[in-house]
Amino acid sequence: MTASAAPLPSETAATRLASRGDVTGFLMELAAEVGAESYMLVAIVHDQARDDARIVASNWIFDAVELIGRRLVAALAQGSFATAPGIRPQPLLAAHAADMDGLLTGEETKLLDVLGHGELYSLRLNVGRQRLFVLFSSPEPGRIEREALTRGQMKCCYALSQVPELLAASAAQDPLSDRERECLFWVSEGKTSDEVALILGVSANTVNSYITHAIQKFSASNRAMAIATAIRSGII
Amino acid sequence: MTDTSALRAETGEAAEGPFSQHQGPFGAFAIGSPSPQVGTIADAVRRCRWIAVDINASGFAMFFAGPTAERDRLVACFDSDYPGVSAATKFMSGTGGEEMVRHTRLSTEPRWWCDDGAAGSGAAFRDLAWVRETTPLVPATAGIAFPVHAERGQCGLAVFFGLQIALRQDQLYEIHARCFALFSAVARVRPGDAGLSRAVSKRELECLRLTANGYTSEAIARLLKLSVHTANQYLTQCAQKLNAVSRTQAVAKALRLGLIE
Repeated sequence: MTASAAPLPSETAATRLASRGDVTGFLMELAAEVGAESYMLVAIVHDQARDDARIVASNWIFDAVELIGRRLVAALAQGSFATAPGIRPQPLLAAHAADMDGLLTGEETKLLDVLGHGELYSLRLNVGRQRLFVLFSSPEPGRIEREALTRGQMKCCYALSQVPELLAASAAQDPLSDRERECLFWVSEGKTSDEVALILGVSANTVNSYITHAIQKFSASNRAMAIATAIRSGII
Repeated sequence: MTDTSALRAETGEAAEGPFSQHQGPFGAFAIGSPSPQVGTIADAVRRCRWIAVDINASGFAMFFAGPTAERDRLVACFDSDYPGVSAATKFMSGTGGEEMVRHTRLSTEPRWWCDDGAAGSGAAFRDLAWVRETTPLVPATAGIAFPVHAERGQCGLAVFFGLQIALRQDQLYEIHARCFALFSAVARVRPGDAGLSRAVSKRELECLRLTANGYTSEAIARLLKLSVHTANQYLTQCAQKLNAVSRTQAVAKALRLGLIE
């Protein structure tokens, strides 16, 4: 690929990402640029027992998503071959996937191959403190350009930085009041309600009620879960 | 430097470089064999200097951004005067950096600046896609700041400045990606937490992860087929090893350290 003479399609769109449609358009251009046929943008949702994937955008066919299932998509996205920015991407080849520490069963790899995801890359995206994954895949190994992927990964981080509110649903927007956030922060630092009450100069009952509200807002079952939710979504 | 040589440098580095070992998001777990080159901040400084040379920057600095809203300051890790601390770093560690810290938590877009005293030096950035202007971080210079993030949720900022920076659009991605790789290496080198995390056993982490997902000790015991006492014991040990006073704090610490997701 030659240097910067003419801006690539994904760069001309650079400063104008505003809606979900723009994100789709951007990802389509980017997929074409790296030589991939399919893309999928995934946020990981922490469920009680296992991780689940919230698919933000994708051109995978419906059957592929249904057959493979969201939990497996989550496992694929965060799998050991997922690449952080600045690291040379490694593909998951359906042909060898069965060897990869039991990530996929033989049947699942066959399914991936049949559905046109013979070669699959998972790139980690950091959009501020939010973390997402973008999967690029093609039916045959070798079509996706790794150098273009590394650039594409950064472009994705930049582009999604412009539309944090579209991703925020994945990380539960900050529903807390300042006081509730403060209380949760101090509890996460190991303070008891009494200590938080001293720090904030209110009564322990008030502190407890702030925390109860926070727990309800997150539909968490207890303090530990409320704090985990708040940390995962970058609120505290 | 031509485009291809820049790319080759990047990919060659990525293939062999100690900072670019292939690691999944849980890679920080397997800190295992620290290769000799990764070991010190001095190596990171050398690597950062290579990046600075590639874009013709005269100064650089690497910062950590505090993880919580209570601490809005940039915490200096090293700079181009290593082992000393440059005046520019001191300036950025002050209130000047607060806006960038907030930006770093929300966005990964680089920000450039060009002070009046350095008129004309901002031309390198003006036409770049994705990159926007901000208030000067260092007086009388032009420069660019790259938000960076590591596996364990740490944020930081890599800053390059000088009067003759040259940065092309295609180079921007490569440079930023190298800053990412460098920062994760630095975050791993940083003393303090690594020892802790290795001491926590798999079983203890499993219990802690379930606690973070809202399970009570009783529910954990049922799920993992343990007695309630054992589950509680795991959690207590875990809290002790993480130097936490309660299991709630242990959950918070483990999440911030990236021991659990």
